Amino acid sequence: MTGRVMVGIFTNEGDLLDVTNTVRARGIKIVDVYAPYAVHGLDKAMGLPAPWRIPWTCFALGLFGAVAKTWFEYWTTATDWPVNVGGKPWDSLPAFVPITFEIMVLFAGLSAVFAFFWVSRLYPGKKAVITNVGTTDDRFALVLEESDAAFDPDEVRALLESYGAVEVTERAEVVIR
Amino acid sequence: MNAISTEFHPSPRLIRWLWGLVIGGGATLALGLVISPQMALSSLLSAGYTLLCAGLAGIFFVAAQYASGASWAVAFRRVPEAMCAALPVGALIVGVTLLAGSELYPWVHDRHHITGFKAMWLNFPFFLMRAVFYLLLWWVFARKILATSRAQDANPDPALSQRNTRLSVLFLVLFAITFWLASFDWIMSLEPHWYSTIFGIYNFAGMFSSGIAIIILLVLWMRRAGPLRDFVTDEHFHDLGKLLFGFTSFWMYIWFSQYMLIWYANITEETLRYTHLQHRYWLPLFILNVILNWVFPFLALLNKRTKRTGHLLARVAAVVLVGRWLDVYLMVQPAAGGENPTIAVWDIGAVVAASALFVLLFIRGMRQASPVPAGDPRLAESLHYHN
Repeated sequence: MTGRVMVGIFTNEGDLLDVTNTVRARGIKIVDVYAPYAVHGLDKAMGLPAPWRIPWTCFALGLFGAVAKTWFEYWTTATDWPVNVGGKPWDSLPAFVPITFEIMVLFAGLSAVFAFFWVSRLYPGKKAVITNVGTTDDRFALVLEESDAAFDPDEVRALLESYGAVEVTERAEVVIR
Repeated sequence: MNAISTEFHPSPRLIRWLWGLVIGGGATLALGLVISPQMALSSLLSAGYTLLCAGLAGIFFVAAQYASGASWAVAFRRVPEAMCAALPVGALIVGVTLLAGSELYPWVHDRHHITGFKAMWLNFPFFLMRAVFYLLLWWVFARKILATSRAQDANPDPALSQRNTRLSVLFLVLFAITFWLASFDWIMSLEPHWYSTIFGIYNFAGMFSSGIAIIILLVLWMRRAGPLRDFVTDEHFHDLGKLLFGFTSFWMYIWFSQYMLIWYANITEETLRYTHLQHRYWLPLFILNVILNWVFPFLALLNKRTKRTGHLLARVAAVVLVGRWLDVYLMVQPAAGGENPTIAVWDIGAVVAASALFVLLFIRGMRQASPVPAGDPRLAESLHYHN
């Protein structure tokens, strides 16, 4: 959908957390918050739901990697082409553990990264939409949705400025996910 | 910061109970020393070593926080600091047990196949001198770090934090070497023909994962009992839970690293210990050790809710502590024991007495200083951080 947005730019992490909490408490819709790094506590301030999909994807694919690799090692060394190593039994499970562990970590790690890309709709070649170029350096941007009839631009602008906003702009026709 | 005056007053009834347990457990141990000296000395060594390790976990935790410049744990740092009160008493018990070394360590009398460097190293007077050196070194560093931390309460000078950072870095380096050697001396040499170079790290992993479990239980207690009620939040428990998750996994990693190399190489004197542990009724305990110390905490702590909910985290920590006892039991007892594992009344008595003694020492340590390091420049950060 598209709509009008108001963008407040902040220079301080603490101000950003406080203003985000206040704005959400007042029922103003937050489109997104942009920061140059991960701000601890911002997800709670924005009222984002706990991310349950990525941990479970990570766990499930990690488990899949471990099981698949154990089966593959068993198949290669005990079934398809039995190799005698130091007189050990062919299905020597302790010997499989390090590789199983590595593959589990690889699957769990990569699945978490890809799940994150999927959820945040990132892919190679995607055109970056930068709200304010400062958010790639030392600025924090709070983007608010203006579509609500109760949204009073002047009041919200004063509110953002009372929390130390260095710049407040309004933009029309911005794509809101 | 005069607002912080929440002192810790445990009920006299609790103190009486704890003393009762120490005396009762100690009595069974004394009985054991009369009936079966070697077996009872093994449980005395286990108890003293576990107690000492609890104190070492406290000072290691504090030193690691200083060395890394971490702020999150400052709010409850007085808890691991108070755990250090177990150091001198644990050192005394270990020291006394080692003096009776001829009963415990077969190499004192039987020098068969003990040659070369090993013959020089496993020499009883030198063995005792090393023990005194390790114990004194740890105690001196613990005292210095604690004294600096406490001095900061009255004099909030950041230079004191820097002084402790330097002390901590030096301590960690010396501790890594001395704890490694101490575990070789006191535990590994119970079976002098069995050796494993990773044994020191294995002991460190067990010491620290159980140490985190102890910190979790004590911080929960201090929050409930009052002194830390307004200072410790769910965020602290979330991070302690993550640390427990990480270090129980580290324990498993080292456990398996030791097991796999010995299994792979299949050299008789190295496999000795594992063939013993995989026979008869030792096998269920051998498997239970892995379940209590890793499988259960790993699965339970994957969930965020377990880490942030006090009573759930406490249960996981309690399981890890039972696992710690079993782990030490499996390191110490097979050398003294026979075909099957035995658990005598003094084995239980030693655990009960050591645990009660630890709580008494902790209470003493906790009451020696303000429950919160009010002068630490990192305290404010620790009170307001988010995960």
